[in-house]
Amino acid sequence: MAYDPNVVCFSCKFGWDYVSDNKPETKVPENRVPVVCCGKVESNHILEAFKAGADGILILACQEGDCHYQDGNFQTSKKVYLLQKVLETFGVERERVRIEMGLDPEGARVEQLVKEMKTDLSKLGPVKRF
Amino acid sequence: MAEKPKVAICWLGACGGCDEAIVDLNEAILQVADQINIVLWPVALDFKYHHIEAMKDKEITLSIISGAVRNSEHEEVARLLREKSQIVLAFGACASLGGTSGLANFITKQEIFDWVYRDAPSVVNPNGTMPQTVTKMNGNTVTLPELFEHVHTLAQVIDVDYYLPGCPPPPDLIAAAINAVLTGALPPKGSTIGPRVALCDSCPRNQRKPARIEIKEIKRIHEVEANPDLCFLEQGIICMGSATRGGCGESCISVNIPCRGCGGPVPGVDDSGARFLSALASMLKAESNEDAKRVIDSIADPAGYFYRFSQPSSTLGKKPLEKATEGENV
Repeated sequence: MAYDPNVVCFSCKFGWDYVSDNKPETKVPENRVPVVCCGKVESNHILEAFKAGADGILILACQEGDCHYQDGNFQTSKKVYLLQKVLETFGVERERVRIEMGLDPEGARVEQLVKEMKTDLSKLGPVKRF
Repeated sequence: MAEKPKVAICWLGACGGCDEAIVDLNEAILQVADQINIVLWPVALDFKYHHIEAMKDKEITLSIISGAVRNSEHEEVARLLREKSQIVLAFGACASLGGTSGLANFITKQEIFDWVYRDAPSVVNPNGTMPQTVTKMNGNTVTLPELFEHVHTLAQVIDVDYYLPGCPPPPDLIAAAINAVLTGALPPKGSTIGPRVALCDSCPRNQRKPARIEIKEIKRIHEVEANPDLCFLEQGIICMGSATRGGCGESCISVNIPCRGCGGPVPGVDDSGARFLSALASMLKAESNEDAKRVIDSIADPAGYFYRFSQPSSTLGKKPLEKATEGENV
């Protein structure tokens, strides 16, 4: 069977896909973790996700300079940049953690973003070491 | 008079600093030594492993084991002591968390062998001789322990009753741990001996710490003259105190050296490196993404710094024991 990477997607409830909350028929996508602010995504959440078998982590954040909680997205981008350096030492490529900043109330782009990440992860293959 | 409780003190993959810390109990060690029978202490006394093998199961009251488990000899000794002991104390950062030798987990065993026996500039090895677990010479067979793929904590190999981290553990906590065993006032199994709060809680510099720490530049302790009264983080010097269990007596802080994290995580945290990473990132004050990246890029070896003592017990670093197949390199 072709390699299908697991992408865990943490998505901010203030910038992404909040309209669908009112539509009970909307199917919650696989491995999607809604968070109140992407600043709530801790380094250990990302590490635990990798440990549990994730091949990549996609964090959906508010637009740059426009975080509902002032600067949660900026705090997260600093954290992710530092974490990427640490992950590389553990043998996990930095491309496996990605932040996408934007505003998408309908969640229209989410599926496409996950798909794009899966395509890129397919080139990397499964996580090699740890 | 009832027989004195038997105590074994043993090192696995260790530097001997933990044994030294026991000696550093000074006069107190004489009182302790009066109440116990030391049945094994390779670094200080001439007992042999076969003396332990001849004992009944659980005959030893307490085994104090320091060091990480990196090879088959470490594993064998750890299993033997577990079998013969009522209580096993993982003693020091290496036994409890993996220790500095655990940083070897960031590279593979093969990379280590290639460097040590082939590629290092000081190596002359024209025949490419590599150590073997079994070698036949002149009709005799000599053996070496097998080096494992990974550095393990003691608890990844045997059942551990108590933990006392620290590099090395402080004398007052060592005395407290031994006394707890002697008096039977034992905490619940699995406990770590020591305070349940982070080092910052007892750090004398905490009083003058600003409400919000903003780090604009990262500095290394040997590059600057740190102000001995101010919080290290406030000065841009990485100090792990906020993510590290206290109880060490602030021995590093008091000589103007930042905390490196040998006390391990506080209760409820598995991966203190990740926790500290998050905390540090939020303290970095930068005007733009580029500026933030510049400051982060100036941190030398962040993984080595955040996981200096805890790689083998970290979320991504911990692994069950896997043995190489026979005939491979040691």
